[in-house]
Amino acid sequence: MIRDIIKKEILDNITSPKFVFTFLLCTILILLSVYTGVANYSAEKKEHTASVALNRKNMESRRDYQSLASGIKINKPPQVLGTIVTGIEEAVGRVAPVNIASDPNLIESKYESNPVFAVFGALDLMFIVKIVLSLFAILFTYDAIVGEKERGTLKLALSNSVPRDKFILGKAIGGYISLLLPLLIPVLLSLIILLLAPDLSLGRAEWSRLFFIFCMFFLYLSVFFSLGLFVSTRTARSSTSFLVLLFIWVVFVMVVPKVAVIIASRIKPVPSIHEITSKKDAFLRQVSAEVNKGLPEWIQKNARNFPRDQKAAQEMIMKYVKEIQDEATTRIDANNAALEKDYQLKKKEQQNLAVNLSRISPASALTFGSMTLARTGVDEYDRFLSSVRTYKPIYTKWINSKMGTTISVLTGGEQVRIDDMPLHHLEPENLSSSLYKALPDFSLMIGMIIVFFAGACVSFLRYDVR
Amino acid sequence: MIEARNLSKRYEDNVLALDDLNLRVNPGEIYCLLGANGAGKTTTINIFLAFIEPTSGQALLNDIDAARNPLQAKEYVAYVSENVMLYGNFTARQNLDFFARLGGKRNLRKDDYYQAMQKVGLPEKAFEQRVREFSKGMRQKLGIAIAIIKDAPALLLDEPTSGLDPKAGAEFLETLTELRSAGKAILMSTHDIFRSKDVADRVGIMKEGRKVMERTGDELKHENLQHLYLDYMRGSVNPETEVKAND
Repeated sequence: MIRDIIKKEILDNITSPKFVFTFLLCTILILLSVYTGVANYSAEKKEHTASVALNRKNMESRRDYQSLASGIKINKPPQVLGTIVTGIEEAVGRVAPVNIASDPNLIESKYESNPVFAVFGALDLMFIVKIVLSLFAILFTYDAIVGEKERGTLKLALSNSVPRDKFILGKAIGGYISLLLPLLIPVLLSLIILLLAPDLSLGRAEWSRLFFIFCMFFLYLSVFFSLGLFVSTRTARSSTSFLVLLFIWVVFVMVVPKVAVIIASRIKPVPSIHEITSKKDAFLRQVSAEVNKGLPEWIQKNARNFPRDQKAAQEMIMKYVKEIQDEATTRIDANNAALEKDYQLKKKEQQNLAVNLSRISPASALTFGSMTLARTGVDEYDRFLSSVRTYKPIYTKWINSKMGTTISVLTGGEQVRIDDMPLHHLEPENLSSSLYKALPDFSLMIGMIIVFFAGACVSFLRYDVR
Repeated sequence: MIEARNLSKRYEDNVLALDDLNLRVNPGEIYCLLGANGAGKTTTINIFLAFIEPTSGQALLNDIDAARNPLQAKEYVAYVSENVMLYGNFTARQNLDFFARLGGKRNLRKDDYYQAMQKVGLPEKAFEQRVREFSKGMRQKLGIAIAIIKDAPALLLDEPTSGLDPKAGAEFLETLTELRSAGKAILMSTHDIFRSKDVADRVGIMKEGRKVMERTGDELKHENLQHLYLDYMRGSVNPETEVKAND
C-alpha cells in the first residue's frame, strides 16, 4: 500500500507544472553556478600562482634587507571546493602582508577590488540550495495534506482501510523523491563538470568532503520538506499553509542569521580594529622614541670607550643597535600580541555567540556546516591568519638577523638572498576535524527533521479530514 | 449491512449534531437520509467512516464497530462524496487504479477499469483523459466507478447527485439500482426528495440531529414525501416518538 501511495505522489508531482518549472530552473541555476565556480577557481588559481611568483621576484630584487622589513606578502591559496561553497573567500581578502610593525591581516578581497560583488554576493551551489531549493521544498509540501483535503481526495483515500501513518509516510517519501528528481540530472552534470574541469584536481579527500556537503544540502532540504509537511497538517487551507511557511522561511533564512549577529554584538561587544591599531601605534611610537633617544645617549655616554679602530667602533655600535632592536621588537611584539590576543578572544566569543544563536535557523546551520566542510568558512580564515601570525615572529627573527649582520653605516646594503628565508606553511585541515566541527550543524538539522516530521505524523493522526 | 445504534454526537462547542440515531440498511437495500443542511446526515456518514468519533452509540459496518476497528470496518465500505475532485493531473484510469489499490484491489487489468467506467456511463474517450478536464458530472461518475471497483458490500453516498444535470442524475439512479440488485447495502444522504422516492427502499428524514420520520418505499407509494418533508421541516408535524430501525 505504501508503495502505491509513493508511486501516486511521484506521478502526481511529476505531471504537475511545478515539476517542469523546478526542473528547468534547477538545471539552469545549478549548472550556471558550478560553471561559474569552476571558472572563478581557475582564474583565482592562476592569479595565486602569478602572485606568489611575483612576490618572490620582488623580494629577490630588493637591494637591502632593510626594505624587506617593510613586509612580504603571504597569498592565501583558493580552495577548490569554493566552486560549490564560496563561503567568505571573496569577502576576507587573499593576501596577508607580514612586516615587523603590524600584525598580519588579510587584505585585497574581491569585494575591495569590485564592491558591486558585495551587493549581490556569490551565486554558488550553497546559495541556490539555501534560497531557491528550500523554496521549492516548500512548494512541494505546503499543500501535501491540506491540498488533499481541499480536493476531497484525502477523505476518499482514508475511506479505505489505509492507516494514517502509512499514508503520511508514503506521501513524505514520494514527495521527497519528487523534489530530488529535478535535482538529479543537474547535480550529476555538475559532478561531471567538476571531474572534467582541467584546473580542478579533486583528490579522494575533496570528493569525500563533497559527499558530506551534498549530504548537508539534502538534510537542509529535508528540514524544509518536513516543516512543509508539518504546517500542511496544522492548517485548514493551502493558502494559509503557504503563507505560514513563507513567513517561517523568511524568519529562518533572512532574519535569524542577521538578528543573531546583532544580538551577539550587543551582548559581547568587541573594540573596533581602529582602537586596537591606535593602541598598537601609540606603543610603537613610545618604543621608537625611547630607542631614538637611547642611541645618541648611549653613543655620548660610551664615546670615550669607543675603540680607535673605525671597524671595531662600527661593530660595537652594530652590536648595541641589534640589542636595542631586539629588545624593542620583543616589547612591541609582546604588547601587540597581548592586545591582539585580547581582541581575538573577544571577537571569537562574539563570533561563537552569533554562530550558536543563528543556528536556530537551518539556513545558518547549512551555511556554517558546508563552509567548514569546503574549508571556505570563518574557521579556515582563522586558521590561515593564525598560521601567518605564528609565522610572523619567525620571519621577524630571520629579517632581524639579516639586518643585524648586513647593516652597514658606511658602505650601504648588499644584494638580498632569500634562500634561507623560512617559508609560511599551512597544513590543510583533515576531514575528520572538519566533520567534527560540522557535527553540531548535522545534528541540528537531523533534530529539526525528526521534530517536524514527528509533529507532522502526530498532527496527521488527529487530523480532521472532513 | 450498515447499522447505527443509538448513535449520538455532541461537538466540543456543545452542539448536538446527532441525537440517538437508529437505522439499519440491509444488503440489497437503499436507504435515503433526507434533511436540511446541518441536520446530521453528513455527520452520520463521517461517523461510519471513522472521521468523527461518536459521543455514544455504535456505527456498525458488517457488524464491525467503525469507531473501535476503523480499518477493519472500512474494508466493507465504499464512499462517494458530494464533490468528487480527485487528482486532476491523473487520467480517469490512473485515479481509478490508485483508489482501487487503496481499497485492496490489486492485479486489476485495464479492461476491468474500462468496464467500471462504462458501467457508470463515462464516455470511452474520457478513460485516458486527465480528470482536470472533466465536468462535475463526469467526476461524480468516476467517483461512483471508484466505489464500484472496490466491490464493497456497503456504500455510503454523501449527496452524490448534488450538481448533476437531470440526465446524469437519472443515469446515476440506474447505477444505484444495479448496485442494489448486486446485493449492496446503500446509505445515501441527499436533498433530492423526488429521486429518493424513486429509488429508496426506505427513507429517513432528519432534523437537528434527530431522525424524525422513517417510511418504507411501499408506504411512500400512498404518501406525498414532499409534503411530509416540508411539514417536518416547518415543525407542523411532531416527530415520530420512536423510529426503530427495521429488523
